[in-house]
Amino acid sequence: MKIKKLLFVTKFEELGFDALQSLLSLREAGLEHVVFVNIIERERVAMRRGTGYSKEAEIRLRETANIRFIDWAENLFEQGMEVGAYIVVGNLVGEVIKAAQKEEADLIVVGRSQKGVIEQLYAGSDITELLHRTSKPVLVYKYLSESSFALEKPFESPLLATDWSPASLRAIDFLKELKGIIQKIHVVHVVDQKQLSGSAMAIQKTRKKIRAKLDEICQTFEAEGISASPHVYVGDPEQEIEKAARECQATLIVMGSSGKANWVERWLGSTPRNIAEKSDFPTLLIPPIKL
Amino acid sequence: MGKKVLVVDDDPDVRLFNVTVLEENGYTPLVATNGEEGKNLAKHEKPDLVILDVLMPRESGIRLYRELKTDKNLKHIPIIMLSGIAEKSFLRSQKVLAEFGDAPVPEPEAYLEKPVDAEELAATIKKIIG
Repeated sequence: MKIKKLLFVTKFEELGFDALQSLLSLREAGLEHVVFVNIIERERVAMRRGTGYSKEAEIRLRETANIRFIDWAENLFEQGMEVGAYIVVGNLVGEVIKAAQKEEADLIVVGRSQKGVIEQLYAGSDITELLHRTSKPVLVYKYLSESSFALEKPFESPLLATDWSPASLRAIDFLKELKGIIQKIHVVHVVDQKQLSGSAMAIQKTRKKIRAKLDEICQTFEAEGISASPHVYVGDPEQEIEKAARECQATLIVMGSSGKANWVERWLGSTPRNIAEKSDFPTLLIPPIKL
Repeated sequence: MGKKVLVVDDDPDVRLFNVTVLEENGYTPLVATNGEEGKNLAKHEKPDLVILDVLMPRESGIRLYRELKTDKNLKHIPIIMLSGIAEKSFLRSQKVLAEFGDAPVPEPEAYLEKPVDAEELAATIKKIIG
């Protein structure tokens, strides 16, 4: 799972070149090729009435994207990187998946969804849909300007939140490949308070068991030369993961994404999706392998 | 049949423009939509000239240029770079790749920054392959 090629999906208002620059630390872990993707969603070029679309609006949006990409590409080419670009009209998620397949990308980087809560409930979240339709890792990146964190090196100190699911185990393999750029990994498991019943002894036994499992993961990282420390938190996973990221001064939250059906996530939510949408931290979601 | 000119560009409007200029001036156009397709066509068709864009899916013109100019069977084919990417950036990127250990490559026979008018393109082609 080496990251040689990343797909940088932008709707310019969400992600800019500063975000991309901060990801270039991945070059030390093998990144060679960046592919820019700008999807012009159909509704942006649709006519007000009827079923047609405005060619003029499409040209304007295409060329606006092109001008930005040329500027970014010149910068990256001059650093010896390989660069590609897609500017297409269509459905955001569908076109991103098509481009990721065509390019055989190793990582998809997207901005945080800008849809409101109600809109997301009915239309669904692009991030949720993307995660359900791809087996590629997805990094949900945030505005740099609204964040109080120094994101110069987002992979320097990731926090891996594990629930022992196949996807979160896959995340371990993914992070191992980044050993050249990670300084320290914090491995966290959040215990549901309901699990902590019985005597103090029984509760401590549960903690000890979880801690031993986390230690095993840390040893896997240590064997790769990556410093790692285990942390057990108790409570609501969403809140506790965010709290852990702050307390550990993490630069990134990494999680396996849920295997729940799309409609279940839409109505009931899921921890990875909610963190990706709401957290102040960039969030890297690793989907389970699609069979 | 006129001399074969391979156009490598992902933009359908640019491809159409180039093909029209080529046909109107008696050349035989070949068309590829990205660097990978361009490489395969160049190998099989051995064109007399390549008109090459830089920023494309799959493989950029920077890489394809290097591959063509370092292939003993293809390096003699003249190349016109036709791109929105500035010539300065193109040359700098080739220099950086050479510094990273890739083989040095010569400068292209011509570098045209988009957009270009039909007369200028036709005159550049004529100057290079007649």
